[in-house]
Order: sequence, then C-alpha cells, then structure tokens
Amino acid sequence: MYAYDTFDHAMVNARVAEFRDQVERRMTGELTEEEFRPLRLMNGLYLQLHAYMLRVAIPYGTLSADQMRKLAHIARKYDKGYGHFTTRQNIQYNWPKLSETPDILQELADVEMHAVQTSGNCIRNVTTDQFAGATADEVADPRPYAELIRQWSSFHPEFSFLPRKFKIAITGAKTDRAAIKWHDIGLVVKENDEGEIGFEVLAGGGMGRTPVIAKTVRDFLPVQDLLSYLEAMLRVYNEQGRRDNKYKARIKILVEAMGVEEYARQVEAEWEKIRHIPIDVPEEEVARIKAFFAPPPLAVLADDVPAVDELAGKNFIFKAWLANNTGAHKVPGYANVTISLKPHGGIPGDASDEQMDLVADLADTYSQSEIRVSHEQNLILPHVAKKDLPELWQKLDEAGLGTPNAGLLTDIIACPGLDYCSLANTRSIPIAQTITERFDDMKRLMDIGPLKIKISGCINSCGHHHAGHIGILGVDRKGTENYQILLGGSGGEDASKAAILGPGFDEDGIVDAVEKVVAVYLGEREEGEEFLAAYRRLGPDTFKEAVYGAH
Amino acid sequence: MAKKITGPQLILANRLDDGRAVFLTAAGAWSKQVAEAAVANSEEELTGLLSVAQAAEVSNQVVSVTPVAADVSGDAVAPAHIKFAMQSKGPSVRSDLGYQVSPNWE
Ligand code: HEM
Ligand code: SF4
Repeated sequence: MYAYDTFDHAMVNARVAEFRDQVERRMTGELTEEEFRPLRLMNGLYLQLHAYMLRVAIPYGTLSADQMRKLAHIARKYDKGYGHFTTRQNIQYNWPKLSETPDILQELADVEMHAVQTSGNCIRNVTTDQFAGATADEVADPRPYAELIRQWSSFHPEFSFLPRKFKIAITGAKTDRAAIKWHDIGLVVKENDEGEIGFEVLAGGGMGRTPVIAKTVRDFLPVQDLLSYLEAMLRVYNEQGRRDNKYKARIKILVEAMGVEEYARQVEAEWEKIRHIPIDVPEEEVARIKAFFAPPPLAVLADDVPAVDELAGKNFIFKAWLANNTGAHKVPGYANVTISLKPHGGIPGDASDEQMDLVADLADTYSQSEIRVSHEQNLILPHVAKKDLPELWQKLDEAGLGTPNAGLLTDIIACPGLDYCSLANTRSIPIAQTITERFDDMKRLMDIGPLKIKISGCINSCGHHHAGHIGILGVDRKGTENYQILLGGSGGEDASKAAILGPGFDEDGIVDAVEKVVAVYLGEREEGEEFLAAYRRLGPDTFKEAVYGAH
Repeated sequence: MAKKITGPQLILANRLDDGRAVFLTAAGAWSKQVAEAAVANSEEELTGLLSVAQAAEVSNQVVSVTPVAADVSGDAVAPAHIKFAMQSKGPSVRSDLGYQVSPNWE
C-alpha cells in the first residue's frame, strides 16, 4: 500500500488545522454560512436533510485493516454506528456534528486518509478496479498510476475551480469493473505491439441529466506521458467548458459540442506546448510509487482444494458464494473474495462499526491486511488462500456478511435518496429493500444469473441508473414519489445507456415491473444467454408489452 | 416586503452544529417536532416568522431557513411536500435509530 511521505503528512495535517480554524470561526459567527459553505465543501462536508454528511475518500478503493478500523471507530464515536460505501469508492457518514468534524479529519489524517476534493468542482477521488493488482485478467496494476494522478491532482492550483466536478477512473483489466466509460476521463492500461505499457485515453463520459459514454481521445499514450497529457486535457476543458450553465458544464457537453476529433486535436496542440516542462515525474519516482503496490509474497498453493469442493457439494449456499463472491487471482491457489454489503432487505452499501471491525480482523487473518471497496458498494478481501475459504465464509455468514449474491439481481446499487439526500425526488433504499425481499431465493437468483439493478433518487444519477441492466430513476410526480424503469444499460467495457421503457410507477408498481421484466427474460432467453444480451437481442417492445400490457 | 404565498406555510431550518431539522414555533424557539411549528396564514405572518428565523440565522443557531407549504388538514401540521415531510420525520430506514423511535432523537 502507498504510505504517505512527509509532504503528504504535512499537507493533510495543515488542511485539518486550517479547517479546524474555519469551523471555529463559523461557530462563533465570524464566518457566515455563505462564506463557510465553499470551505466545508472543499473538505467533503455537506448539509443534508437531517444532518451534515462527511464524504471520505478511499483512494482507488484500497484500505488497510488499520484504516478500516479507524473508519469503524469514527462510525462509533462520531456517528450512529454505521457508514455508507458509495459508487465512487468513498465512505459517507450521515450524522457528524460540525464542531466534531475537525477531530474526525484529524483521526483520518492519522491513518493517512482525508476528505479533500470529495466535493466541489475539482478533480475527485480517482477510482479503479476493486481487484487491481490481484486479478488474473489484468495487463498491469492501475493503482500506481491512480496514485500518481492523486498526487498531481491534489491541491492542483489551476484545477481547483473547474467549470464542474471532474471524475477519473482507471482500469488495468480487460473486464471493466470501474465503469471507466462513464467518467470524465477513463484510462485503460494496455500493451502495444512492441510490448510497451501505456493507456487508451477516453474522455467525455458522464451521467446526470445528459448521459454520455466516453469516447477515445488517444489510442495509446506511453505511461511516462500520463500527467502532462492529463494536464493538457484538463486545460482545454478548463478554458472552454461552459461556466454559464451548471447543467452544461461537464466535459461531456464540451466534447459533444466540439466533437471528439476537435477536442483531441486541441489537447494534442496544448500538450505539444507543455510536455517538455517537468510535469511528468522521473522514472525513479514512478518506480518508488510502484514499489508500494508490489504484490504480496504469496507462496504458490494447490489450486484444487478438496475440502472446498466437499463443502460446496453439500452446502448450496457456500456453493453459490463460491460461484458468485470469489474470483480468480493472479497466483494459483488464491482467490479474491467479495463481501456483499447487500443483505436481502438491507441497505445497499451500509456497514456497521462492528462489521467494519470484523472485516479488518478478517483482512489481518486472511488477506494480507488489505481491503478493497468496489464501485458496486461491496468490500473485497484480495489474496485469500483457497484453503481458507470455508472458514472465512463461515465467519462472514455469522456476521450477516455472507450473502452469496455478488453480480446477481439483488446486488443492487442504490444512492441514499430521499432518506438522506437534500437533492432527492424519491427514496431509493426502500425500493432496493423491497426488491431484494421479493427475490429472496438463492436458487431463483442463480437461475436468473448476472443482472445489475441500479437505483437513483433523482436525475443526478449517483446510483448509476443509466448504466443499469435495469435502471430505476425516482421522479417527483406532483409531490409524490414516482419511479421510472430503464432497460439495457451497462457500465462495463460494452457500455450502453439504458432507455426509459415507459411511464413511471409508484413504490409497489416499480417492484412488480421488475418482476415482469425478469419473467420476460426467463421466458425468452436462449441457452446460456444473460439478461443484457437477451435485452439487446429482443429490444424493448417485448418488455414494454409485458410491463404495460398490449396497447 | 411581504412574500407571496398561496397557502399556509411553516419555517424549516437546520441547527448549525448538528444539522438537525428544526421548526420555528410561535414562541420564536426551534422545535424538533413539526407539530409545534408555527403556521403562517398570510403574507404578513410569514414575513414576521421569517424575520425571527433570519435573526436566528444571524446569531448562528440555524442555517438553511426555508419556508415550506404546510398541510393543516390532519390532526397536526406537517409539511405538504414529501421532501420536507421526510425531513420532519427522519429517514424511513434504520427505524432502530431514527426519529420514529423517539421524537426527541438527536
Ligand atoms: C447524499 C449526498 C449527495 C449529493 C448532494 C450528491 C450530488 C450529486 C450531484 C449534484 C450530481 C450531478 C453532477 C453533475 O451531473 O454535474 C451527482 C452525481 C453523481 N454522484 Fe452524487 N451526490 C450525493 C451522494 C452520492 C453518493 C452516495 C454516491 C455514491 C453512491 C454518489 C455518486 C455520484 C455519481 C457516481 C454521480 C454521477 C457522476 C456523473 O454525472 O458522471 N453521490 N451527485
Ligand atoms: S441521485 Fe439524487 S437522490 Fe440520489 S444521492 Fe444523488 S443527488 Fe441524491
């Protein structure tokens, strides 16, 4: 894991001290709310419906066991005993007190964490594949590059007041688990014909009221040019992105308006001007950062473990967990374990302080003290020896963390919605709860197979509904909650925008609509055909008819 | 200047320190219980309540002072719009922790 150097420590500690002073001045009235608001937002502190909300960054989704223990401690001491893991690999606390946030930030700084740039029109937390550095299907670990971007973008003076928020995601694997095509900039680590490592660079993706899938700006960017090229990309956007209209201010609108070729041309021209000033870091520095992410020393173990097969043979739930919640590791004899934060009837992404503590302990025992957070709001233990899987599963299951549903219909992404969020039209969480209760049958879920449901409580799309195989969007219908259903989205390498199927439903109607959509799929699918493929083959009409009846 | 209103209104805000949603009462205090909210039935009454609320904002008790439409058809007054009704009731989830357990819940 990356360890802060003296600069990182000094920077983060100085920021905490500065914010402590600002909070004190706000409490005494020296600063008005108008003056204070931008300052608190720069430190990840929002005011929501019932309380403040603090958003803490988990850079590229990697946590140590000690950091997780600190998150548990904060939930216990300053909050109501839980936290919410989000689609941007952050954790949100729903109940911090303003006067206590400087203490929280200091506790975070003590374990090399912060809430800087988790809000505002700046470059946000860089997200990546939750299996980075551990998965069998990757070209290279993307996290050293994500860390480089974090350092370059933290407190970057030129990019602290962009036209709008800016989100970068990076993947090193062929399977895109980081939804890079839905980001302002997406990076894919790849190898060219000469065997050199570089990036495919995409730009202009985003959700919100105008969903756009990112387009390729450059097919291959050598690794050593990463930061200067990003600098050029941001410069063109910073200069020309619209500042007159918040809804047209994201880079997606700029790239659409000028065309990706023209955007790329301007970026290349800007890059020619700046690439020779030292923005890119020397090779030794890259090597120094890479060393922090060196794979753990794992002794190769037997890949077939009879005890695992034996338990799977007699316990269907373990068998399902093995199939859904464990994935192939780089090293034979190991697996990456997804801990589902989606218990049926529960709140997607929420974890209690006890659960966080337990996960930290399990990481110490089974996964080299390492934990990951996925954009799908689950936790991951990488590098688990296969022989330990039965024991680990048992401990997770006892703590309510063993739901074997990763990637299945009940592994739902849901934003906080109207239960917490002041921008919401509708609640999201109760819809997820009702759906997961309705589908609380592992045999049925396994039969349905991979199916991603994503729910947002308003068009801001924090719940990624545009990228849902089934997306659900909350709208305000004359002051009541109404839910639209969308089909056919994908956040993967085959990214696509979900399309609205028809008129919205009330709280019960939307769950019935999901059932009808699933029934069409089960009736129409071909041998081995997954939901998304079936939808793409069938088109919306078959589903429309089933959901709304023949017209 | 009097604010234009089309029906009864109440005043909602968040306490400065913990952000808790609170309602302006007829006595000029801030209550956690919406049932205690003062209702403005005219533009003059609303202007009066708002000046009390804004004074509380200036003296750092509350932030985000918002006049919202009130529903006075039931036994107790409540915000008419779902969003503000939710704000008065607390999250509908985690009922083991919420306003539902105890109306004085922080
Ligand atoms: C509860 C407080 C939150 C507020 C006030 C908030 C606000 C917003 C706003 C205004 C946007 C639209 C930005 C735009 O289109 O320019 C947005 C987008 C987004 N938010 Fe949130 N959000 C909140 C919570 C969350 C949570 C909990 C998550 C993760 C589960 C999240 C993840 C995202 C994502 C992924 C997007 C889409 C980015 C895009 O448009 O490309 N947000 N949020
Ligand atoms: S999608 Fe809307 S309701 Fe949901 S968290 Fe984002 S802003 Fe709030």
